[in-house]
Amino acid sequence: MSSKTWYRSLAELENSTEFLELMHREFPKAASEFPKGVSRRRWLQLMGASLILGGAAGCRFEQDTLAPAATRPANRIPGKPKFYNTSFEIAGVAQALRATSYDGRPIKLDGNPDYAAVGGASTSYAQGTTLELYDPDRGRTPTQLQDRSAIARTWVDVDTFLAESAKGWSGSQGAELSVLAEPTSSPTIARLRTELQKRFPKATWFEHTAVDQSNSLRGAELAFGEVLRPQFDLSAAKVVVTIDCDLFGNHPDALQLIRQYSAGRAPAEGKMIRLYSVECEFTQAGMMADHRLGLRPSEIAGFLASVEAALSEDSIHEPAKSATYPQKVFAALVDDLRKHPGQSVIAVGPAQPAAVHALAHRINSQLQNIGKTVTFVRETNTTVNGSLADFVSHAQAGTCQELLILGGNPAYNAPADIDFAASIKSIPNRMHLSLAPNETSDLCNWFLSQSHPLECWSDCRLSDGTYGLGQPLIAPLFESRSTIEVLSSLLGLKVDGLNQVRRTAIEIDSGLKADKEWKRVVHSGFLADSAASTVSPKIKAFDGPQANDTWKAVAEVKNGDLELVFSNNSSVFDGRFANNAWLQELPHPLTKLTWGNAAVMSPKTAAALGVKDEDLVQLQVGKGKVEIPAYILPGQATGTVSVAIGYGRKKAGLVGGDTANDIAPVGVNVSPLRTSQTLHSVKGLKVTQTGRTQKLSATQDHYAIDKIGLEGIHERIGDLVREANLDEFLHHPDFAQHKVHHPPLESPWKEHSYDGHAWGMAIDLNKCIGCNACMIACQSENNVPVVGAEQVQQNREMHWLRVDRYFSGDPEQPTVITQPVTCHHCENAPCEQVCPVAATVHSDEGLNDMAYNRCIGTRYCGNNCPYKVRRFNFLDYRGELPGTNQDLTHLVLNPEVTVRSRGVMEKCTYCVQRIQNTRITASNKGRAIGANEIQSACQQVCPAQAIVFGDLNNPESAVAKAHADSRAYAMLEELNVKPRTKYLARIRNPHPWLASDQDEHDHGHSTPAHAMKTQDHRCGQEAHV
Amino acid sequence: MATGQVAAVTVDTTFEDPTRRAPLVTGAHDYMSVTDTVVGLVEHQTPRAWYIAFTISSSFTFLLFAMIAYLIYRGVGVWGNNSPVFWAWDIVNFVFWVGIGHAGTLISAILFLFRQNWRTSINRFAEAMTIFAVCCAGIFPAVHVGRVWFAYWLLPLPSTRLDMWPNFRSPLLWDVFAVSTYATVSLLFWYMGMIPDLATFRDRTKSRTKQMIYGFLALGWTGSARQWHRYEKAYVLLAALATPLVLSVHTVVSFDFATAQLPGWHATIFPPYFVAGAVFSGFAMVITLMVPAREWFGLKDFVTLRHLENMCKVILATGSMVGFAYGIEFFIAWYGGNPYEGFTFLNRAFGPYAWAYWTMVTCNVIAPQFFWSKKIRTSPWLMVVVCIFVNIGMWFERFVIIVTSLSRDFLPSSWGYYSPTWVDICMFAGSFGLFFTLFLLFCRYLPMVAISEVKAVMPVPGNDHANGVHQH
Repeated sequence: MSSKTWYRSLAELENSTEFLELMHREFPKAASEFPKGVSRRRWLQLMGASLILGGAAGCRFEQDTLAPAATRPANRIPGKPKFYNTSFEIAGVAQALRATSYDGRPIKLDGNPDYAAVGGASTSYAQGTTLELYDPDRGRTPTQLQDRSAIARTWVDVDTFLAESAKGWSGSQGAELSVLAEPTSSPTIARLRTELQKRFPKATWFEHTAVDQSNSLRGAELAFGEVLRPQFDLSAAKVVVTIDCDLFGNHPDALQLIRQYSAGRAPAEGKMIRLYSVECEFTQAGMMADHRLGLRPSEIAGFLASVEAALSEDSIHEPAKSATYPQKVFAALVDDLRKHPGQSVIAVGPAQPAAVHALAHRINSQLQNIGKTVTFVRETNTTVNGSLADFVSHAQAGTCQELLILGGNPAYNAPADIDFAASIKSIPNRMHLSLAPNETSDLCNWFLSQSHPLECWSDCRLSDGTYGLGQPLIAPLFESRSTIEVLSSLLGLKVDGLNQVRRTAIEIDSGLKADKEWKRVVHSGFLADSAASTVSPKIKAFDGPQANDTWKAVAEVKNGDLELVFSNNSSVFDGRFANNAWLQELPHPLTKLTWGNAAVMSPKTAAALGVKDEDLVQLQVGKGKVEIPAYILPGQATGTVSVAIGYGRKKAGLVGGDTANDIAPVGVNVSPLRTSQTLHSVKGLKVTQTGRTQKLSATQDHYAIDKIGLEGIHERIGDLVREANLDEFLHHPDFAQHKVHHPPLESPWKEHSYDGHAWGMAIDLNKCIGCNACMIACQSENNVPVVGAEQVQQNREMHWLRVDRYFSGDPEQPTVITQPVTCHHCENAPCEQVCPVAATVHSDEGLNDMAYNRCIGTRYCGNNCPYKVRRFNFLDYRGELPGTNQDLTHLVLNPEVTVRSRGVMEKCTYCVQRIQNTRITASNKGRAIGANEIQSACQQVCPAQAIVFGDLNNPESAVAKAHADSRAYAMLEELNVKPRTKYLARIRNPHPWLASDQDEHDHGHSTPAHAMKTQDHRCGQEAHV
Repeated sequence: MATGQVAAVTVDTTFEDPTRRAPLVTGAHDYMSVTDTVVGLVEHQTPRAWYIAFTISSSFTFLLFAMIAYLIYRGVGVWGNNSPVFWAWDIVNFVFWVGIGHAGTLISAILFLFRQNWRTSINRFAEAMTIFAVCCAGIFPAVHVGRVWFAYWLLPLPSTRLDMWPNFRSPLLWDVFAVSTYATVSLLFWYMGMIPDLATFRDRTKSRTKQMIYGFLALGWTGSARQWHRYEKAYVLLAALATPLVLSVHTVVSFDFATAQLPGWHATIFPPYFVAGAVFSGFAMVITLMVPAREWFGLKDFVTLRHLENMCKVILATGSMVGFAYGIEFFIAWYGGNPYEGFTFLNRAFGPYAWAYWTMVTCNVIAPQFFWSKKIRTSPWLMVVVCIFVNIGMWFERFVIIVTSLSRDFLPSSWGYYSPTWVDICMFAGSFGLFFTLFLLFCRYLPMVAISEVKAVMPVPGNDHANGVHQH
């Protein structure tokens, strides 16, 4: 069946060229006036949050109506934000979200606090999704490429075209049709796919993703005989072992696992998980690990098999002093696993082959973990015709006449051995549905503009199987449709996303037929109690990897025999966020790199290869060659090089690169090195120097450090970032307060007393995993501008909140500590004293306020700030670009936060706008502000709940309690600046066999010289406690 | 006016015989010839060299203003300043030029009060240099602010629109007062001292326009006894007023740093150390300019070797003070036991900016030590070489203090490295252009030597005491 075709004029019906031209000019605002040859710098500015906000010029309500609202719509108060729950997939992971909508436009996305497993946390990607909505590079209309010229079409044209095509398939049962989609958990898409396969039984559906997770499923299949997905419960665990697995980074359940882990690291409550990480590249789990062992990917299977073998022996002895570091970690790990049956978790990452996953399942089963800390859910999504490789062979077979690509970008991220581009050339009709035109769209003759998840109805399965519902917060900004709507059209159904989603929902829970129930689900964003049931399968016999000794020795670096690892944990993910300036400028947690990728290698590897930071090196694997700058990172497994995928996009847009319009790509595309057999890592890498260098944009350690600097860091880090082992903490719970001794801090005059509210913050370093979500949440909340790669290279990044990271110990096997730093709102603020125009002053509640319109920009405050948290607008980072659709890019701004102009100093305000909102609400209701009622943006997003904010004068508040904690200390307290932010010292929980070993590292004052030799310029070493 | 010829004697004025006074003016000069020499510089046709020099210096001045325009158009980001080095060449240049501006008032005011008569032939020159240096200095803090168009908010304007005072606790505000007071008083002092000479110019010039202009500037000076009486009184008063300013201005400039809590800035030694450094650099600049000027303008009889030697001695003394201060800074950094401060000083000497530090030490501590040798103290061109080194060293001193301290402060995560951009370099070069442009204009149009004062220290006409000096 087909829907009626409505037309607006006869000209439209005829599709005359003049009319199309008119349509194109009239509807998508400025679609054709889009400027060419605009400098990249200007566009970065444009994409940044700081654009002039003309009062409420950008305000819009849900419906664009021509008539002004003569009477105010019910329950809508202009200028008062509203919150809507929604759930959708971001970077392939379904998240329960809560969107802030300001006068009808979504300006911020956070976690849905009602979804208890995650409790309001969200990922960096979720934060960046808001900016994506207003990306000026988004596709504005469906476009057809005819005779090399792009012609703007309407969706009516698309519907007509699809209906025409479908007529031709009825005879062949749809053999001409192929769909290439990204994997999705959406039940509606699954249902529509089934309907499509019913209607056209011979149509084919393939799935492609650059970030392949299938090893995990195949591992479970090997171990249990069925396709299962493991789920971990760290709240019941005492020992956690990650095997090349970033439980806290790119794992789909990361938010939940971080929450459980940080709850399980409460030494004062007697809970202290011990975390071991055996991995190649430094992950966020590795950052948190008590013992991290860097191994080459190929050594990991042997290591885990050795663990299994050792577990079956009677006992394990403390290793000799002369044992290698891997042996020591191994012994401690085995000892811990043996002592904690049923309370341990062994998690393997997707980069490891299926056999290693199966082996981990066997060990988990042997340790009686299954059913306790490790459970499984059944994967249902098995009805597709195959992967990208299968599609390519299908396309080459020649039956395919019509290709519909739903999202994704296979032309960019297909493995090197799959010639996707060539394979589709012979297909006459190639359609690509995508948010923005990309490399794949360039290969197609139809571009279909896709709706952003904030513009359409959708559904998904959250990681525990809960049914999540996505609702639109704004009418599509452009002529776009969602995947569900396009599939409906393909099926000849009425294009109605809501109806389709609701039909699926009713299939899942028939109670949703009732409007009231449906509205309840829409309101909460997910269907409560719809989580998948877990199973505890029985292990079956299989041949796992064999135990060996290769991992025991300290690795040698042999050029030509290096291992190359492909990493997907950068802020652009698989490249889909390449045009997102917030995410491009979000530093990587470990390398602190922004705007690009690098060949990451350890100091020893680099020394052996004669490579220095920012040397442009050539990576060669087989025939594949890539030139990329080097970056030296302690902790990358010796003899390996890691590169991030997702960079070097040639058709991403004005931010991420658009070579056709002379906008250089950001970073380097490493796809030529990656084949379908080596999606995660590959052996036989050769690194050669090109003799050239290329600047990297890192937000910390902008240049190689000298001996004096290194020694200075060693001396002070222990005082700035305080930590202790568990034993020490138990004996001296207040150790952190005795690290730095100073004379009594007295004031020559009577200090101001804060009798009302006294706002303060506490950051628990024991919980912080350094994920950087707080940085981008702050950016989104506070209209923090993006400055671009060149400015980052000049140390001019504007993030109000940064996460410092320091290394300690052996540069090849270091430990790392992270510390979020933002304005400390010192009571004796050094910045206030020196400002000649009194532009930064104290409030009577202890906030160090900035009066932007008073600031003349002497920058003296920045000089005098010991924490260096003040950010100066060196140039005009608001970036107004005449002639473009600024109304669009303005929409992302939070109207409650002033947009700062050039020449003005800015910094963290403790989210003063949130304080004021809560104050007004409380005052209207005639009550006091609740103890923990106000959440700062960084606190809200933090999955580890490391940040608390509130009133120090309220003894009930979490922050007052945190300040009273024995681990609490104020950084640089000895300056008598009286900071309002306190840190809670980090506690490590080393295995007793390794505790002394770790101490040795920390005491070794002879190490700096040694460290210099091995080019370790990033190792801060703790001072002795 | 006396016309008696004084015997032309070439005298070595640098002797150390306490029984004899060295003559302050040598050569066969009488009052007439002094006037002729000084006024002649202005009356004679402008030499070609002047035009060449003026073309070069005014192009650099143009460069300075072009850079300022670009800076205001684009923002402070056109410089290399970053976080943590929020201040860099802008403030380095400011302190450098303010320092240069110290010698003038010191020579005119303090030496005047101490009855150091040898100052008379160099004071006009040094004062002019002061004024021009302060002009150059004032430009940098004015344009270094992020929003130049609001720079006037630094002034305590009782305006209802702003409805607030500036922050009187801020050393930057003290700076505004200190530098503007200094500039005003120096200008007044300089101008007042010039009035009798301007009147001479007025009387001698044949051009109607010049008569008008000089006449206007001379404020109706007739040289009557009453006028002289008032003039002398006012001069003493202004000298007394200017004297504390010599010390205060650089003291206050040093407060910009000393009151901050940045390791490397937060030091009580800064005020005396800065004042000594300022005098040091100011005298070095006077010599750098004076030696060529006396050569080219034929002023060797007025600016004798003894003058130069005295200035070298001042440079040696203040240079040693500065060197001592460097030592004390290190000692206190160690003795104070503050690890951050200790690190800052080690980092200065051995960190990434060690090259700047050792340039500074070489130029400021080692170079002036050559002045222990009388041979060097009395060889004008050797002096110039040493003084150029001192000028370079004093610029680097400010660079070391400002940039190295900022680049590595408390939290290693924020450490950074500063490199100047082409705009920084052009602006600095341009400031020299402005300085020399003003200077060349001064040489061409104003009395370079205080005619009336020099006459006062000359032998009384008819008196044959060629080597004696008579006061009135």
